[in-house]
Amino acid sequence: MTDLPSEPVRVMVVDDHPMWREALARDLTEAGYDVVATAGDGEQALRLAPATRPQVAIVDLRLPTLSGVQVTARLSAANPELRVLALSASSEHDDVLQAVKAGAVGYLVKSASREELLAAICRVVAGESVFTPGLAGLILGEYRRLAVVPSPTADGVTPRLTQRETEVLRLVAKGLSYRQIAERLVLSHRTVQNHVQNTLRKLQLHNRVELTRYALEQRLDAD
Amino acid sequence: MAFQTQLWRALGVYRVLALGYASVLYVRDAGVYAYPGVGWLVLTGMGIWTVATLLAYRVPAGRRWPVLAADMAVGVGTVLITRLLDTPVRIEAGASTLPTIWSAAPVLAWAISGGWRSGTVAAVLIGGANVAERGTLTPGNTRNIVMLTLAGVSVGYVTELARHSELALARALRARATAQERERLARGIHDSVLQVLALVRRRGVELGGAAAELGRLAGEQEAALRALLAISPDQDLDGPRDARVDLRSLLRALANPRVTISAPDAPVLLDHVVAQEVAAAVVTALDNVRRHAGKHAHAWLLVEEESDEVVVSVRDDGPGIPDGRLTAAVAQGRLGMAQSIQGRLRDLGGSATVTCTPGQGAEIELRLPRQECP
Repeated sequence: MTDLPSEPVRVMVVDDHPMWREALARDLTEAGYDVVATAGDGEQALRLAPATRPQVAIVDLRLPTLSGVQVTARLSAANPELRVLALSASSEHDDVLQAVKAGAVGYLVKSASREELLAAICRVVAGESVFTPGLAGLILGEYRRLAVVPSPTADGVTPRLTQRETEVLRLVAKGLSYRQIAERLVLSHRTVQNHVQNTLRKLQLHNRVELTRYALEQRLDAD
Repeated sequence: MAFQTQLWRALGVYRVLALGYASVLYVRDAGVYAYPGVGWLVLTGMGIWTVATLLAYRVPAGRRWPVLAADMAVGVGTVLITRLLDTPVRIEAGASTLPTIWSAAPVLAWAISGGWRSGTVAAVLIGGANVAERGTLTPGNTRNIVMLTLAGVSVGYVTELARHSELALARALRARATAQERERLARGIHDSVLQVLALVRRRGVELGGAAAELGRLAGEQEAALRALLAISPDQDLDGPRDARVDLRSLLRALANPRVTISAPDAPVLLDHVVAQEVAAAVVTALDNVRRHAGKHAHAWLLVEEESDEVVVSVRDDGPGIPDGRLTAAVAQGRLGMAQSIQGRLRDLGGSATVTCTPGQGAEIELRLPRQECP
């Protein structure tokens, strides 16, 4: 996990708190990342992203003007390759769930240590998603909510968790590491990772379908 | 004031209808008046005044005392002038005045504007004019005075009542808006405080030594503040009235740097007695983690709401119960704890199971059948 690709990974930091922004940028630079842009608000981030082409964006969810969720959605829409890691000072709440549905590949609370943060970015770079136990709890709840109030999507399918995925998510929510989960369920580390990522991908896909349906309806209504 | 605006509009309608009534009566009686020509002039003047007041009372600026006084003067004047225009015989016989019920309009205007006291004064003035026109107090004009006073008092009273309740409503709305704004500001401030505390904790731990202690303290305060923010404000207000409480709020109060809580985004509502019992069972479980897995053990709480039950899991990352090497003391302690928690859950119709996975700590799962919504 510690080996970085030969070319330094390009990172953008979006945080309205100057102290945090600088501390994050410094930590990342020291760890060998190339911090190509820092932004204090969403509009700035959206302006800087196309020019500086970051591979990873670390986005604080509470931003002035544009919200972190909106920034995440627009960054992901503009460049699907860009991987967004959401960061928030207050605990897991609705905006975390919204950010993940909008395309963030992971979420970290700001109380995480420097090592935890760097490990998280390492995983994001490696194409994995970053789950906190809190996020797993929120996602379990979201699937349950969708099962109770099925929203009619275009293809008529409400996303559901497989039994295995539920099992894995519950263990993540109980604080087990992927390695521990793999051990307990007798799976490979990779398989556990795939299960977790699938739970996220299904929600994101569902969210996109919903948004498209909504946009279509709005347009039909406008005609 | 919305209600008062409606009353002014109603007064306008009344005045027009009353003018129509007065005109019909005058058309019938003009022939027997002493000076029918002047009578027509007076009636025309009443029409002009009707239009003038309709315009004046349409806006709040026109509902002032000079206009109201003029209104009263016109009302009194039209009543009194009848004595000069009509024949003494008809007046003796108790014929109605030229403006008839049109002269009640100023009474209503005064009542709407100044409440029941003004209404009463206005009723006395118009009533007095009626008596003066007749020259004496008769059963007929006494009845008129009573009717006018009744109208003035009741309309005035209703107006005051409406004004007070509208003011109270406006005050309540303003207070709510202020509270919401304060809450919004507080959230912003709390968020900044959380950021700074998190930063201090991070840097402190990195610097080590005395700074690490500061960092640790900041971290504890950060967790405490976060738990406080997680309790929704309306929860406290609705507590006594609504017997159902959000289990998440109760459990979030237990969060600290070594206890992580995961829960759905939506409230997990339970009867407050049941929720307290579950929270007490969780506290017991956490105490047990501290006692047996060590001070530095981490614990995770997971709250789940299934279609038919609520599941709360408590897991720690302690050594668990070493396979085959159960010392008597550990077994005693753990089993004692488990029995106490199991007892609580059984009383609530649920269950508690303890599982240990080597190297992955111990786990207690509390399952509680969900109550039907009342």
